[in-house]
Amino acid sequence: MKQWSRSFFILLVLALSVAAKSAKIPTDLKTAPPFDLPTRSGNISLDSLRGKVVLIDFWASWCAPCRQSFPWMSKVYDRYKSKGFEIVAINLDKNKDLADDFIFEFSPPFTVAFDPEGKTAEAYGVPAMPSSYIVNQDGTIIHSHAGFDPKKTDIVEKEIQEAFPR
Amino acid sequence: MQLDSSTQSSSIRQKLSRTALALALLEVPATAHADSGPTTQFDITTLFYGEQSRTDIFEPMVRVSRLFPDGQSLYAQFGLDVVTGASPSGALPSGEIQTTTGSSGRILTIPAGAIPMMNFQDQRFGFDGDWHKSLSRFFTSDIGGHFSRERDYQSLGINGKMSVDLFRRLTTLTFGGGYNHDSVFPTGGTPAGLSDGTIISNQGNPKQVKNFMIGISQVLSRKWLFGFDFSRTFENGYLTEPYKVISIVDPVTGIPVSQLTDKRPDARDRTSLLFSSAYHLSRDVVYLYYRHYWDTWKLQSDTFDFKYRHELGSENGTYLEPHIRYYHQTPAEFFTVGLVEGDPLPEFATADTRLGLLKTMTLGTTLGFHIFDNPSLWTIRAEYIRQIGDSYPVNAVGIQQTFDLSPPLNTFAVVVGYSFNF
Amino acid sequence: MKTIIRWKLRLLLIFLSFTAFGCATIHPWDRDLLAEKKMSLNPSPMVRAVDNHIYFSKEGSTGGDDIGGGGCGCN
Repeated sequence: MKQWSRSFFILLVLALSVAAKSAKIPTDLKTAPPFDLPTRSGNISLDSLRGKVVLIDFWASWCAPCRQSFPWMSKVYDRYKSKGFEIVAINLDKNKDLADDFIFEFSPPFTVAFDPEGKTAEAYGVPAMPSSYIVNQDGTIIHSHAGFDPKKTDIVEKEIQEAFPR
Repeated sequence: MQLDSSTQSSSIRQKLSRTALALALLEVPATAHADSGPTTQFDITTLFYGEQSRTDIFEPMVRVSRLFPDGQSLYAQFGLDVVTGASPSGALPSGEIQTTTGSSGRILTIPAGAIPMMNFQDQRFGFDGDWHKSLSRFFTSDIGGHFSRERDYQSLGINGKMSVDLFRRLTTLTFGGGYNHDSVFPTGGTPAGLSDGTIISNQGNPKQVKNFMIGISQVLSRKWLFGFDFSRTFENGYLTEPYKVISIVDPVTGIPVSQLTDKRPDARDRTSLLFSSAYHLSRDVVYLYYRHYWDTWKLQSDTFDFKYRHELGSENGTYLEPHIRYYHQTPAEFFTVGLVEGDPLPEFATADTRLGLLKTMTLGTTLGFHIFDNPSLWTIRAEYIRQIGDSYPVNAVGIQQTFDLSPPLNTFAVVVGYSFNF
Repeated sequence: MKTIIRWKLRLLLIFLSFTAFGCATIHPWDRDLLAEKKMSLNPSPMVRAVDNHIYFSKEGSTGGDDIGGGGCGCN
């Protein structure tokens, strides 16, 4: 019996130590990688948004936390768009119909772009679904978040506010 | 990576995906969230089970689950079991009509050549509860409780498990444990083991069960989920079947002359290795399970289970899921079809075919469907189970060699399920 | 004693081999199929509960199941 409890705890400690090295967004990423992706009306490129504060969000229809992130992003977009704030929600669905259903359901006021092959996601080193990046007016990534936590939205909103020059 | 657009968009699809994501809370360790506010899910299942000329079971079950936006969930499950019918007593056929009194006072009437049966009737009530909670971003925990009660058995238990997600959530490690405190109080009192049935106690007989489990589940590809589960169970206490008997036969003729009660050891350590796989084809999913089991009673078994979930492609999300299961078991150390008069008594003995050589084959199918636009799911399942034992064991004596001591048992089971949430 | 050590080594080997698999390139956005409710090792807990009840009362072996995992891998 004691042998089994010991094996249990050894495996537990092993697991904990590995989990501690959890996936984070690579800290060496400073300049937001450029992209030029299709939207429902034409294309959007990151270069064209230089001079604005941009929130880039990687999402998919099958990602449950995205269902909470979209209403919040709509709110935040309406709040700061007049100051020069843009949101580009990059969809990673492999089945466009499912993405369309999701968009129909949430009717986002912000730009939705499509990256079904995940090339842009790979460039940004997306570690989890969803993931978001706050890019300042110089094109530098100043904050990033893996996942969406409704309890942390105040912090993220503050980060967006701080991106604007005083 | 090419993907064929195999799914269709429709309003039912939206409702289904919403339901599916909310329900995913129950399975996925990550904090997947429901839309806004808690949702409640009801699962109602009823089993109708009938063994050919033997036992009938009617079993309704209700599970109520409450899913909270922060990923916490709670469920309570209630089950009622109504069992009637007959099951083998363990005694051997005599070749003539016999009337004997069973160890618990029941009168048994046995036709010639037939496996002696005993009639019974029982109701069982069971409750299971579980609280699922995220401890941090990659850790989740479960705490559960169990209570069940039937006429001669009571069980009380607690269990818990902790899961940790590793390697970008491609691997999930689970550690679990449980403790059950059971009590067996046979109708008419507890008989002495390997005796003529003298009642030695009218008290309950305790039984303790400790269980430990380690599991790993691993995403092997975009379409393939694999799991391995290692489980150890330690049972101590009263493990005997109080109503089963063993015939003592004449060493030459093989005709039963008397019978003794069952006697089993008071400890049993079990080990189980379970391999599970779920593989997504373009629309359908293939499920494969293999379990290898052994215990300190020297019983070993192998179970193969195969399910193919075939999407019928209608707007309603209807599916058909055929199922095959094959089970093979080798006897416990002290299993014997009967004892021979004059031979020294063994320390332990049972003639219970559930501990003997056993082969079970199941063929079944499930139909899952929604009625029109309603997101509530109906499932109807039909299963045919055929169980074969050791019909002509090598140590059968005299007339016993002419009888089929384990005739094939055919069972039909129908399960109706209904699942809805609000 | 020796049997226990052998089992520990086997367990460790299985764990490590899974670790190796974990390094295969399955991106977080590749989990669309895994996010489906039916992509689970125990897709219908009620079905398993009924099955367990049927087989554990007819056969000599009990237990051995119940683990989670897979899914959309979100957050």
